Amino acid sequence: MSGKASSSQLSVSSSGSGGLSHVYIQHPPLRCNVPRSRGLFYDDGNKLLCSPTSDQVFSWKTAPFDPLVAPTSDLISEGPILSIRYSLDAKIIAIQRTSQEIQFFHRETGQNFCHKCNPESESILGFFWTDCPLCHFVLVKNSGLDLLACDAESKSLQLVKTRKLNVSWYLYTHESRMVLLASGMQCNTFSGFQFSSAGIVCLPKFEMIMAKSEANSKPVLAAEDVYIATIYGRIYCLQIDRVAMLLHSYRFYQDAVVQQGSLPIYSSQIAVSVVDNVLLIHQVDAKVVILYDIFANSRAPISAPLPLLLRGLPRSNSFTSRSTAKDSESPEANISDSESKIYGDDWTFMIPDLACDVSNKLLWKINLDLEAISACSSEVPSVLEFLQHRKLEASKAKQLCLAITHNLILERRPVLMVAKAVEVLMVSYSQALKTGSYLKGIKDTEVNAQFKSLKTNPKVNKEKLSGGAERSSTEVHISSSQSQQLGPANSPLNASVSERQESQLTSPAISPDEMYSFVFAPVEEEMVGDSSYLVAIILEFLRSASSVKKKVKPNINVLAIQLLARNERYAELSLFIINKVLEPSKKVAMQLLESGGQNSQVRKLGLDMLRQLSFHHDYVLQLVQDGYYLEALRYARKHKVVTVRPSLFLEAALASNDSQLLAAVLRFFSDFTPGFKTTSDCHTYNRILYEMNSAVAV
Amino acid sequence: MGMATANSGGSEGMELCIFDLRRGQQEGQELDKILFFFPADLPFSTQLSVIGLSEGLITFTRIFSPEAACELIEAERHSHVFYEAEPDIWMVMVVEKSKEAEAIWRIDALREVLKEIHSLFMMFYGPVREMLEKDPSGGLTRAHLYPFVMDYLSDFLVGKKTQLPSFRDCLKEFGTVQMLTVGREAAIEVQSLVRVLESGAGATHCYSLILFQDLLVSTTLSPDDTINLFAYAIQRLSPRALSSGASSWSYLRRGSTPSHVVVGPTFATVSVSDQFHHLPANSPSQDNSYHVKRPLQHNRWSKGKDGFLVTDIWGTETGSLIPSTPTIWLQQTGERMYLCAYQYKSLTLILLVPLSSILNGEQGVSLVKQQVLENASLKILKVEEKLSKGWGGENAYHVSGYRYLLIDDDRNVSRASPPAKVTTLAKESLLAMSKLREEVDLEKSRSKWDNADRDKDLEICIRVKNNAWVIARTTRGKELYMVLERANETLLYASDAFEKFSDRYCGGAFSLD
Repeated sequence: MSGKASSSQLSVSSSGSGGLSHVYIQHPPLRCNVPRSRGLFYDDGNKLLCSPTSDQVFSWKTAPFDPLVAPTSDLISEGPILSIRYSLDAKIIAIQRTSQEIQFFHRETGQNFCHKCNPESESILGFFWTDCPLCHFVLVKNSGLDLLACDAESKSLQLVKTRKLNVSWYLYTHESRMVLLASGMQCNTFSGFQFSSAGIVCLPKFEMIMAKSEANSKPVLAAEDVYIATIYGRIYCLQIDRVAMLLHSYRFYQDAVVQQGSLPIYSSQIAVSVVDNVLLIHQVDAKVVILYDIFANSRAPISAPLPLLLRGLPRSNSFTSRSTAKDSESPEANISDSESKIYGDDWTFMIPDLACDVSNKLLWKINLDLEAISACSSEVPSVLEFLQHRKLEASKAKQLCLAITHNLILERRPVLMVAKAVEVLMVSYSQALKTGSYLKGIKDTEVNAQFKSLKTNPKVNKEKLSGGAERSSTEVHISSSQSQQLGPANSPLNASVSERQESQLTSPAISPDEMYSFVFAPVEEEMVGDSSYLVAIILEFLRSASSVKKKVKPNINVLAIQLLARNERYAELSLFIINKVLEPSKKVAMQLLESGGQNSQVRKLGLDMLRQLSFHHDYVLQLVQDGYYLEALRYARKHKVVTVRPSLFLEAALASNDSQLLAAVLRFFSDFTPGFKTTSDCHTYNRILYEMNSAVAV
Repeated sequence: MGMATANSGGSEGMELCIFDLRRGQQEGQELDKILFFFPADLPFSTQLSVIGLSEGLITFTRIFSPEAACELIEAERHSHVFYEAEPDIWMVMVVEKSKEAEAIWRIDALREVLKEIHSLFMMFYGPVREMLEKDPSGGLTRAHLYPFVMDYLSDFLVGKKTQLPSFRDCLKEFGTVQMLTVGREAAIEVQSLVRVLESGAGATHCYSLILFQDLLVSTTLSPDDTINLFAYAIQRLSPRALSSGASSWSYLRRGSTPSHVVVGPTFATVSVSDQFHHLPANSPSQDNSYHVKRPLQHNRWSKGKDGFLVTDIWGTETGSLIPSTPTIWLQQTGERMYLCAYQYKSLTLILLVPLSSILNGEQGVSLVKQQVLENASLKILKVEEKLSKGWGGENAYHVSGYRYLLIDDDRNVSRASPPAKVTTLAKESLLAMSKLREEVDLEKSRSKWDNADRDKDLEICIRVKNNAWVIARTTRGKELYMVLERANETLLYASDAFEKFSDRYCGGAFSLD
């Protein structure tokens, strides 16, 4: 037991309990505890978490998420606070004081002004800043929307436009730039407006469906039961139907709202977050989360519901609390206990991927555990498809894809399955090229170089292991714990993933060249036994590449030739060459010549390829090597190959001990190579020829 | 031998015998040597004199050339073509020469016929020698050889005559396969299908052959086995063979003469094979006891409901009505394989599964078939569609102005002008080409003995009396023959035309100067 404890301490970063969850929050959280705080507010426009006190407002940047970020503070005047939002240029702080009044503070100058509405007839439900060209500020009131613009000095707001309609409550996310206004008896009639930088889009009115518990009951839709989610750039609205226990989804188009089907829910309390375009439905009562990838048509969850995991809690604490050690009452342990409470009663989920523990003043960022997700499904092609859509941890997703494919082949899974997997990767690559995200990712040559260096990593690791240095043991532990999650076979690819790469790569797409370097080449080294399986896989790879019209580098073709030749499958090899399944190139031709040592026909295919590709120099050399001197000379003359030295032919002719041949070669050069007669070669060989002939004559 | 023939006088100038030099060496037992003789109704004394002459010559020439004994006797009115099929098992064909009857032969073509008979026989029954060892009386071997060769020869029947490859067939090459040219994308699909086929069967070391129409698309077999199976497939399994019941070797006859067998009652061979159609049922002949399967019988294959081709040639499995799956013997590995042929439109797939990998007989085979259908159906559809789209029709490989034959000796592949186009050539041109090919054959066999691993380059251009150019060029294992009629009279023109063809259709293989 104690031995285990010490080893688990090494793998702090990569969670001890590998496959038990697919989503995790990483310790430490962002602690936003300030004395005399009057609550926490989230400004999703600037992704700021604000905590006002009586005369100050503290704000923490939440994107990019850094738990140790220091808050900035601004002075404000005292008063009640219903809501806080910074302007998008972060120059003005808007604070809703009452249902009639909003106060604006200039951060630089400290000046402030107020905006009020008609107190008798209207009350303010909320507000938000926009980057729409028409207005800067939108005020949502129970009587409709006011679109306001700041004047030049930002001293006051001018009304640009109003939209009159009854509003019971509203919903806005800056991510979608969309506001949904609920009205009607049941609050299930919606008007929607999108304040995009292109202008204001007015969505058609629509109604959300609600199941009735009894015939006459008319349930009222609450604001907490509706979410706006932005997934793959598409805007969805999710609505909880508590009676039917369903989560209905609607997708917004420019001119229509289309219902997209429903997902089941298993808890009365539901929260929604979106992490890297994956929809997370927190079943708060059950303390589990279900993941959906709303990319394909399938509405099936990615995996079984599993709890949200807290990672990286200092191991000693959790360990002692479990093993009832003496010093478990230490203050630090207590804090950790409260921190480690997941899905507490006052957890609030914020767009898109944050969870706030309001009572403890902690902010957590929700992360996907790509390894765990990919390890839990045997449907490898769909796992790869899922990973290829990940943008946040593109580098990790890429490594995982490579490792999965690598293992898939090494485990000799059915060809059809591997073919499907490879196709997924190729299609994704071609799409990434189309959208430019792949090139953006690799433009930095440094990244590429780092990737290349990965190939040699496993060896480095091995060396370190044998060296037995302290550092090496850490590395080995990390890599082994990762491969444990991935599958039985040990994979060298995920041995190390440096943080720097992760931030630079924007797409997990894998180019054909990388497929060769990180999948086929290592597999070929590790694979034992019949290689026809690997040939079949390479063929499927070529098929996928050609179906997305992508060329492959010659090295994969060379590998295929080596494999076929090794198994003496010459009939297939020549079909591959003749039908250009393996595209002609000099490398391929040279490999054919090499593999043709055992089979003259293969050698001839290589020669023909050299000739057809017009590598005249190499062709002539090969002819000479095969002893076809005169043919080589004729060919050299026809194609004006001057790079082959006469002495090469002369030596070969001399070696053949055939004076006729030597004479023919000499004559050829004398006739066709200007200046040859004056060279020393000419004299030397003429003399040799003379001696040979006189010897024959004697 | 107990073969009664209904009619005599069937010899129309051809005799064919197979004999074993290791048998009948004692006086009075000479008959034991004879394993096969055609025509069978010749008196034994005549048969023995043919074999005796052959044997004498073989023994004599072996003194000088133990490795390769007699190849040919050219007499005034006959040619004797020798072929040593297996050590000491010889096949000799005697053909009559006659200018009027167009009986002008190219010896190598005739020898290819002998070779094919033997190769196909081996494909179904294994080596003759093994069969002789199994049954030293020779009865088993004779019982197999007779119907087999007769069925084979019936393919050459045109009207009443057995029409062997003559000078008119000089732009065809026996014992080679003809391939479909496919684009890269289609080729990848085909190869992908091959993998699925061979891996889907679950057994190790399966082989496959894929044909489109009468052309080979893919093979994983060794060259020799490919040639044999290809020959059998286009004769008995291809859609054309199934639909028309066509009996003649289509690559020999296609286009030239409509291939119908006219069963002449006066013709010996036909009546013999006619008899054999009914033999197992009603003849008390001794052959019956050997249960001879006759894979070359006509019209015995048909397409089953599931797309697989079925035949009753191999009988039924004991106790059931399901026809047994044919088996063949591979030269390269010496292994027996189940032959499963599947057809979809113009596409014929042949899957060979080792007997040893299937333990429970027919049940196992049908399981394999089922798996193939499950795994490969979609791919088969796709491949068929791709190949049909790219298919240029009967005359796809016609090059106007040229009548050609291109042979790749290394791969045993040939391509030629469509037969219908070759028939437009004048007799003089064909005769000249036939003669020219004989010369090249001779030169080739000579250089083979001189320098085994060096291919000789050769070029011959002939201006024929009818002003046609007849050209042959061989280079490094490739041969190109060409007839240019109505062409310009200069040699330069002919050689230019040749170069152009080589550059365009042969990847420049023949244009080295």
